[in-house]
Amino acid sequence: MLIAENLTKAYRRHAVEVRVLNGLNLEVKTGEFLSIVGASGSGKSTLLHLLGTLDAPDSGKIFLDGRRIDNLPSRDRDELRNKTFGYIFQFYHLLPELTALDNVLMPAYIAHSTFGWFRERSVWRKRADELLQKVGLGHRMKHKPRELSGGEMQRAAVARALLTNPRVLLADEPTGNLDADTGGEIVRLLRNLNRDEGVTIVMVTHNLEIVSVTDRVVKMVGGVVTDDTKKHIPSPKLIAV
Amino acid sequence: MYKLLLCLRYLQTRYLAFICIVSVMLGVATLIVVNAVMSGFSTKLKDRLHGVLSDVVVDTDRMEGFPDSPEVMMAKIKASPAGDRIEAMTPTLEVFAILQFHFRGQLMTKPVRLIGIDPAGRASVGGFSEYLVKNHATPEKAFELTPEALQRHDWNVKRAEVANPLDLPDPLAVPSVRPLIPEPNALPAPAMEIGVGTPELKLYGVVPGYTLAHFRYRNDQGEVVEEAALKPGDDVTITTVGGNDLKPVWGNFLVSDYLRTEMSEYDQTFVYVPIDQLQRLRGMNNRATALQLKLKTYEQDKLFVCNEVRKIYPYADINIATWEEHQGPLLSAIEVERSILNILLFMIVGVAGFSILAIFTMIVSEKFRDIGILKSLGASSHGVLSIFLGYGFLLGSVGCVLGTAFGLYITAEINAIEAFLTKLTGTAVFPRDVYYFKEIPTNVDPLSVLAVNLGAISIAVVFSLLPAFRASRLHPVRALRFE
Repeated sequence: MLIAENLTKAYRRHAVEVRVLNGLNLEVKTGEFLSIVGASGSGKSTLLHLLGTLDAPDSGKIFLDGRRIDNLPSRDRDELRNKTFGYIFQFYHLLPELTALDNVLMPAYIAHSTFGWFRERSVWRKRADELLQKVGLGHRMKHKPRELSGGEMQRAAVARALLTNPRVLLADEPTGNLDADTGGEIVRLLRNLNRDEGVTIVMVTHNLEIVSVTDRVVKMVGGVVTDDTKKHIPSPKLIAV
Repeated sequence: MYKLLLCLRYLQTRYLAFICIVSVMLGVATLIVVNAVMSGFSTKLKDRLHGVLSDVVVDTDRMEGFPDSPEVMMAKIKASPAGDRIEAMTPTLEVFAILQFHFRGQLMTKPVRLIGIDPAGRASVGGFSEYLVKNHATPEKAFELTPEALQRHDWNVKRAEVANPLDLPDPLAVPSVRPLIPEPNALPAPAMEIGVGTPELKLYGVVPGYTLAHFRYRNDQGEVVEEAALKPGDDVTITTVGGNDLKPVWGNFLVSDYLRTEMSEYDQTFVYVPIDQLQRLRGMNNRATALQLKLKTYEQDKLFVCNEVRKIYPYADINIATWEEHQGPLLSAIEVERSILNILLFMIVGVAGFSILAIFTMIVSEKFRDIGILKSLGASSHGVLSIFLGYGFLLGSVGCVLGTAFGLYITAEINAIEAFLTKLTGTAVFPRDVYYFKEIPTNVDPLSVLAVNLGAISIAVVFSLLPAFRASRLHPVRALRFE
């Protein structure tokens, strides 16, 4: 479904060049729950940004269902991020001025003009209500991010990522800022989404405990994939889930 | 949809937005107040400049006046193609003169511009009756003496006849703040003689400028005090030149009214007398030196009428000009003043614009992460640009609405505010003796208010362009990593 071919990416600051990806190859299959692990600086987040068209590789190609997406015009890439990919970030990244409900509705706000929105708002409101109920935030819809706990904010972020029924969910250390129990809840939520709704999930983490619930674990070192296995490190705690 | 939503939310929740709004509001309010006051001054000054001049003035420097009598001139002009466009005409006779009168035993002399008029005719061309202090409703009676004036005249005559005129009570006296100077010999009996022509024992009225007839000074408390030097019924001697050999001629007149245009130039120099008396005094046989024309539609007909009259009187020494041409230098000075003020005001708006730029740059910096989030959710660079441009527009609009309301309120209450500030600081903010206006004149021009609003909104949008462009160019990954 999602294929990365020989990706390279380097960041330059003045005369210093830091190579983050060095000819990385990866294939993500449809309906798969893939986790990417690796030490800090191994290029996990950069890979996620490239896969989700937030950034462009220096060289190499990315294909989605056989269509090359890394060199698309910005308008098409914006549309992909809006409709095909859903993002979940470590620091939740909710907009502080908006309520949980408005945050969840943001992808739909972006997709519609003002008039278009008023025609279809009831459909989207219903969908957002359902998602917030699903992630257990039905009673917190009108609350602003500062009134929510870390776990609640991340659940709102998950609901937001799912609003437009994306085909691929890209999660960048979704439990990195949460305690073990809350992090476990989020991972269970993602697991259920993958299992029940068939959403393809690519999750970057350095928490080896949570990767056991994923279908496949990819390990990155120095900007390349060094290990690609299923159920790399089993976790009794999470398996019990 | 998200652009509108975020613009409104940012407006509601950012304290920096409030500062921005206040900045625009103060700028707009200042512009509206300054424009209204400047326009008020300008309009009033223009009114005053137009004031005693009719729309079109035909005049000559010939000592003996026009070659035709006023009746013939008016008939010729009336018969010309311009005749239909003229509402009223009247002849006037203008000459320099010296005004003499006694004040507290001292002989006062003042150089004046002596104008002979037919009061009813002069009122018909405008710029006369509205400036008469007593007879503004009945300008044709401008030179008529009221019973009180005649009584005062009688008293003046009697006072001159007794040994000590100060023993006589003044029936119309107002308490004087200055002691009277006991110098009885300096008070002459009014002599009703006419220097040239047939002497007539008749009392003729004269309408001097208000400032000519009043003294202004500051008392011990620093207040401006006004005291009448000439009251209705007081006699004055007017000396000018007349006859073929230009010999001094003089006549005595009794003050019947004052001319108060509130333009110091007119109020200090103009003296109106009946035209027939001035003609007689100067030995002129039914001649005038100027013809005042009032047009039906000034702006439309001024050039046509001037050209037509020029065809009738194509002489170099007969000057035909509109009131604007007569007041050309002063009107140009007002225009220059307005231009300079506009440049200065533009600079004020520029300062407000830069404060918007600074505040917007801060807002964009604060919103770096939000921009990254929006882009990760599919917002385009153009969309982000629109958010911040829309935000600038919204801040400008709200600031303009509040600023307009505030500016109009200050303009409406400017005299009360001025009185309060004067009381607070102890210094007159608007010294009335300098300007000769009773209160600060204001004139709110809806077009100028609209222009100020449009200008301020444009500046808010233009100055938000740079930060908005910077926001739109922000790389989403860099924005998401921004701490």
